[in-house]
Amino acid sequence: MNGIEPTRQLIRPCTLVYAVLMLLTVATWGIGRAGLSGLGVSLTVLAFAMFKGHLIGDWFMGLRGVRGIWRWVVVLWLLIPGGLISLAFFLSYRS
Amino acid sequence: MSDDMKISSTTPGGAQRVAAPNYPPGDLAIWIFILAELLVFAVFFAAYAFTRMNHVELFNEYQATLNRDAALINTLALLTSSYFVMRGVVAAREGNNAFCARWLWAAVAMGVVFVVVKSAEYAHHLGAGVSLSTNTFYMFYLSLTFFHFMHVILGMVILVAVAVKAHGDGYSVEDHTGVETGASYWHMVDLLWLILFPLVYVMR
Repeated sequence: MNGIEPTRQLIRPCTLVYAVLMLLTVATWGIGRAGLSGLGVSLTVLAFAMFKGHLIGDWFMGLRGVRGIWRWVVVLWLLIPGGLISLAFFLSYRS
Repeated sequence: MSDDMKISSTTPGGAQRVAAPNYPPGDLAIWIFILAELLVFAVFFAAYAFTRMNHVELFNEYQATLNRDAALINTLALLTSSYFVMRGVVAAREGNNAFCARWLWAAVAMGVVFVVVKSAEYAHHLGAGVSLSTNTFYMFYLSLTFFHFMHVILGMVILVAVAVKAHGDGYSVEDHTGVETGASYWHMVDLLWLILFPLVYVMR
């Protein structure tokens, strides 16, 4: 977690992050439950997942307060499967 | 982590500000391991998506046989466990081993929820005669989720070991790297599921 702020001050923002993660998860499930499909829907759901991953990396894994390349390691990773999955779905809808 | 932090200034109130560390929390070796795991799963995720391109109808048809409610419960369980682990790390940094152990046991309990729900899903599918050779979708579904399932089991073993050590007052304000190391691995398990859940259960 963050090396700048006192440790206890992390609890409130992390609790807020947890609430956002839960809300986005339920939203994702709701989209699936409603049977929504299509490129836009799929990419929206994927964007939710990538944003959730970014929150996990920053706040729970504690990368927000780290300097250099390690600060971005989860974001960079998310871009790899996120980009490839987006491309595959884009191509499948185009063909 | 503490070895890499330097006190950079003092606030007007006297509190010390600490410069951002160069390395993430926990043992650096676990981060090398995490990177390797993330890359392996990235390949699996991409393989699923590109294979789906040539079997869209098959993937959509059999995706509909999966239990999204169970996947929701499992996602909420893993997110909750990650939050509990974060609270355990905070307690360890404050030198409160008893609280650290309690948060970690709560996280393990959420892991048990995941294992039970996922096992019930597997029992349902295997009982219906589904196997790796049933079709391409189920091959990916079973192999991807089971590979992740094994990581959940390993993560729970690590959390139990850390919780037991915390219970025995094994960490301190100065030395709690073990808690951060176990926590980092568990968060990775959660991170992987956050991509797996929409990809396999929702996106169509």
